[in-house]
Order: sequence, then structure tokens, then C-alpha cells
Amino acid sequence: MKINAQDQQLTRVRILEAAVDVITIKGFKSATMREIAKQAQVGDATIYNYFPTKEKLLYGYCEYVQQQVMLELKEISDFHEYSVQEQLQQLVETNLRVWLPAREFLQQVFEISFAEPVAGFTNIAETKRLFTAMVVDMLDAAVEAGEIPDQPYRELLPRLFWDYMTGIMAYWLKDTSEGFANTTQVIDRSMELVANILQQGMVGKLLDLASFLFRTHIMSHMDSLKNLYQAPDLAAAKRRFMEGK
Amino acid sequence: MQDTIPEGKWQRAGIVGSTALKVGLREVQHKVKRPFLSAQRQQAAKQEVDDHNARQLFAALTQLRGTALKAAQMLSMEVELLPERYRRELEKSFHQVPPLNRVLVRKAVQAQFGKPPEHLFATFDSQAFAAASLGQVHAATLPDGTPVAVKIQYPGIHVAMDNDIQLLRKLARRLPNAEIALQSLQEIQARLREEVDYLHEAHTTEWFRGQLALTGVSVPQVYAEWSGERVLTTQFMHGKHLDDWLATNPGQALRDKAAQQLYDTLVYSTRTLKRLHADPNPGNYLFHDDGSVSLIDFGCVKQLSGTFAATLPRLLQAFLADDYDAIMRAYRALGMEHNQANPTWYQDVLRPFAEWAARPLREEHFDFGKHSDYTSTAREIIQRLAGTSGLNKVADEFIFFDRTIYGLCKMFERMGATVSIRQHWL
Repeated sequence: MKINAQDQQLTRVRILEAAVDVITIKGFKSATMREIAKQAQVGDATIYNYFPTKEKLLYGYCEYVQQQVMLELKEISDFHEYSVQEQLQQLVETNLRVWLPAREFLQQVFEISFAEPVAGFTNIAETKRLFTAMVVDMLDAAVEAGEIPDQPYRELLPRLFWDYMTGIMAYWLKDTSEGFANTTQVIDRSMELVANILQQGMVGKLLDLASFLFRTHIMSHMDSLKNLYQAPDLAAAKRRFMEGK
Repeated sequence: MQDTIPEGKWQRAGIVGSTALKVGLREVQHKVKRPFLSAQRQQAAKQEVDDHNARQLFAALTQLRGTALKAAQMLSMEVELLPERYRRELEKSFHQVPPLNRVLVRKAVQAQFGKPPEHLFATFDSQAFAAASLGQVHAATLPDGTPVAVKIQYPGIHVAMDNDIQLLRKLARRLPNAEIALQSLQEIQARLREEVDYLHEAHTTEWFRGQLALTGVSVPQVYAEWSGERVLTTQFMHGKHLDDWLATNPGQALRDKAAQQLYDTLVYSTRTLKRLHADPNPGNYLFHDDGSVSLIDFGCVKQLSGTFAATLPRLLQAFLADDYDAIMRAYRALGMEHNQANPTWYQDVLRPFAEWAARPLREEHFDFGKHSDYTSTAREIIQRLAGTSGLNKVADEFIFFDRTIYGLCKMFERMGATVSIRQHWL
């Protein structure tokens, strides 16, 4: 039974890698499930057992990358000694390193996801969950160790970091410098910013400010609305109406 | 937020552009004002402009960091090329190359060897123990237990380098002696390109290790299997940096011995090997308890021509003899042209320099403890030399030779050492 599950996993990976090859060469639109099945050396019907649609293949690979990243991070023996900035930076760098052989494929993922934002959003949800789970882990550990102060709105931070990662990837896809040297610099330098934001609890403070402004200004407008509702002649008119006069 | 560094060429261009603009604006204002000022006020106003420009230039350079900083360091070593005011601001920028964190160290090693550090070395200290040119040095041990020093380059620094030089060139055009500054920037760029190529450095280190046969001077062994273009692994040299060594209070004899060995190395490299270890940063020398020294970091090595090696002693002798014709003959032999337009140039400018350069040759043993102001008295002299248009062209070898000898003399002053210099040149 166990061997069976292992075999299944191997076949799954083989199909995903075949999908990357075919889609990279042909483009997402022109690639067919049949070609991918052939490349992966599985039957035309078998492939549908694993991935019912081409989209599932596309995003299945994104999830697979995150699993690889997780494994690689676990391989680093002194990873727990890294500062939270180093851990997050390692996460970003490892993501790019694992993506590197499939960079052109990633280009397609970006094009398709941005062309249909809503569909893209649902399809990418699992990848995002895997990624943000790692970020949550790192942040929790850092807070627990007293490395950074407890972060208000902590559930928001990993999602913001996901957006940051997306931005970095977009930059990387456009980067033409040798060895993507510019991307390395952008990451290294922006991570210092991220570390500062965490250190200062900046996101929390910004949200506090927004919430203050909302309460003071928007809510006070609500008050004037209430006043309007309860204005004496309006109230009288309403009473008259209700009483059928 | 002093650590946020501007990213990308676009933003960098913005910074330099605006500074150059500001510098330019100041110059214009100054020139407009000038006719209405008295001579004395003119001088004061010019200084004010220089001060202001120096601050602007420095502000731009610190924003760039990285290679620009490295080049700034090199430019500021070229004391004679920059006015005192620029130089003072630039010297502040020393020792500030951005450090690599564990992620970048790992990335650099992985990019070079396809394996992370823990798979390559038996142990690898993720904390650097020294800064290096455009990178840093980590202690590690090879699988067989040999202790080594692993020098790692900031990933991608070579790509940013050319852009930075391009921008510095823009700034240099605003300097009072722009032509010489531009010429030396070109030299510096060539050196920097070599400096980021660790394979080149591995090769040079090996070469010096084989050729530099002086007792009391050692060069580390290179481990080629663990070295590449961006990572260099060498034998771990024990010993201390100059300040730490001096803090142990080595006796006069030991200090003299160490200094003499460094000077002998310079002469041997110049005259016999015709290749110079041309980075006179004190961090590139290690001192041992018995007064022996190790040379590390061969990133900046200058090849000297045979003519230079042969002419240099003649030039120094001519300096010593105060012989105008011989000096000019030597200069011409080196391809340097004297501007005839200024007849008092020799008397006013070159002669004080020659006198200064020949001073250590007048005594059998020159005591830098007694003459601890030797290098500082030179600044004004050298500056005057560079400030006037007496020479149309300076042999690029001089840029490196002077820089090296000047750096060495500064170290000798700190050591308070007595060095025999005369014997080498007469």
C-alpha cells in the first residue's frame, strides 16, 4: 500500500515535470494534455486521474515548488540560528533557486494568473497557503524568541509577504543582468526594509492609524447621519407615516 | 534607516545626476559672484565651494556604497589626485563595505560549487572574521582537517561595478583636475575588474608564493579545488593585523625587522619581479610574534614595465642629486611629458617633491619614529604637484607605486620603525 502511494507521488511529479517541459516549449494555450501525458510516459486517461485540467497542472507545479522549498529549508542544519531577516531572505532566495529551471514556465503562470485575476486567485490559493505557512512559522518563532516584538495583525503579515514575494518574482522575470545579480541586490536591500518593518511593528502602527482615522472621521459622519435620522421633524414625519396619517 | 541602499541603475542615476547638478550650480554661482569679490574673499569663497562640493560628492558616494565606495577608497588613497577637502570627506567612507549575511554567503558558495558550504567543508563558520575587498573572509576546515580562510564575494557585485564606475566618471568630470582623475579612474576600473576575479587572484597568489623568495615573508597556499571566480580558499594564516600586533608591544628590533621585510618586499617586487602587491591597506599584512610577515590578499597587483623598473632608481638618484636634467630624462623615459609653458614649475613644485621623496635616501637608516610626520608633510607638496599643469601625462605605474610606498610609509610611522632604504637605490 505504501509503495503504491510512493509510486503515485513519483508519477505525479513526473507528470508535473513533463508539463513544465511541454508548456515551456509550446506555451500554455497550445500545449495539450495528450502531449504532456506522452512526455511523462503515462496513459492519456491516467493523466486525468491526477490532474483533471491543464490549469490544475499549472498550479500543481507551483505547489510542488513550495514543497521543494520547504524540504530545502529543512536541510539547512543551522537554520534555526538564522535571524528572522535571514530566514525570510533564505525563503525568497530558495524559492527563486527552485524556480530557476522552470523560469519560463513561471512566466506563463504569471501571464495566465494576471489575465484572469479571479480564476488565478482561487487556483493559486493552495500555493499561497503553503508559502504563508512557512512565513507564519518563522514569524511565530521570532516573536516567541523575543527577536521581534509581538506583531499586531499578525495574520496579515504573511499575506503581505506573499505579495512581496510576487513582486520579487515579477522583477526576477524581467531581470536581464548576469546571474540575475540585480534581483539578488533588490532582495538583499529590501529585506533590510522588511526587517525594519517587523522590528518596529510598522504594519500594526499603520493599521492603527487607519483605524483611528476611520473611527474619528468616518464614524463621526455616521453620527451626523444618525442625527439626521433623529431630527425632530423627520421623526415626527416618520411617526405620522407609521400611524397612517 | 541608514542601511537602506538605493536599488537599481535608475535610482542611482538619479542620485548622481542631482549631485552633479548641485555641484554644477554651485560652480556657476561661484563664477558669477567672482568678479565682485576681492582676491582674499575669492580664495575664501573658492574654499567654501570646494567644501560644499566635497560634502555633496561624499553624500552621493555613501548613498551608492558597494563598489562606488571601493573606488572612492582607491581615489582617496591617491592623495595627490584629489584636493585635500574632497579627500577628507572620502576617507570617512573607509571600512564600510556592506556585510554578507548567511543567506548571501550560502548563495555565493552554492552558485560557485553547486553545493552549500556544509557539504564542501568539514566546518564552516558562518560569521566572517575579516572584511575583504568587495566581500568577506570566513574560517573553515577542509575535509582533511586543514584550517583555511574562505573569501566570499558579494554576489553580483561585478555587475554593479561597471555601472558605478560609469557614474563616478560623471562626477569626476566636475573635479578641478578632472583629466588625471578620469585617467586614474580608468586604471582603477581595470584593477577592480581583476579584483572581482578571484581566479586571477588565486593565480597571482600562487605566482607570488613561488617567486617571492625572501626569508621572513610568507604567502598563503591556494586550494584550487575549493576556489573559483567568486570564492577563494587559502591556507589560514595565523598572525595579527598591524594594530593588534602593536598592541602586544613588540620590541624595537621586531618592529624594525617587520618593517624592513615589508620594504625589501616592495623593492624586490618592483625591481626583480616587476609585479607589485599594490594594495597598501594595512589589513593586507599579517604580523607574527617573531617579526615575520605574511602577505595576504593579492587582489590588486600591478604589472610594471621593464623601463619603469630600470628608470626608477635613476629617478630617485636624480631627486637626491637635485639634478633637473636627469629628472626630466627619467620622466621622458617613462613617457611623461613636461609642460614647458611654466618656467618656475620645477623650482616651485617639483623640487619640493623631489626633496621629500629623496629624504629617506639621505640617511643609512631612516627612523620613521623620529620622522613620524614624513607622510603628512607630503600632502601639501603632492597636492601642489597634482594641482598644477606641470605634467601632461603621468605614467600609470606611478599611480600604483606611489600609492603603495605611501601606504607602507604610513605603516612604518605607526610602527615607529627604522628602515634601511638608501642601500636599495644607490
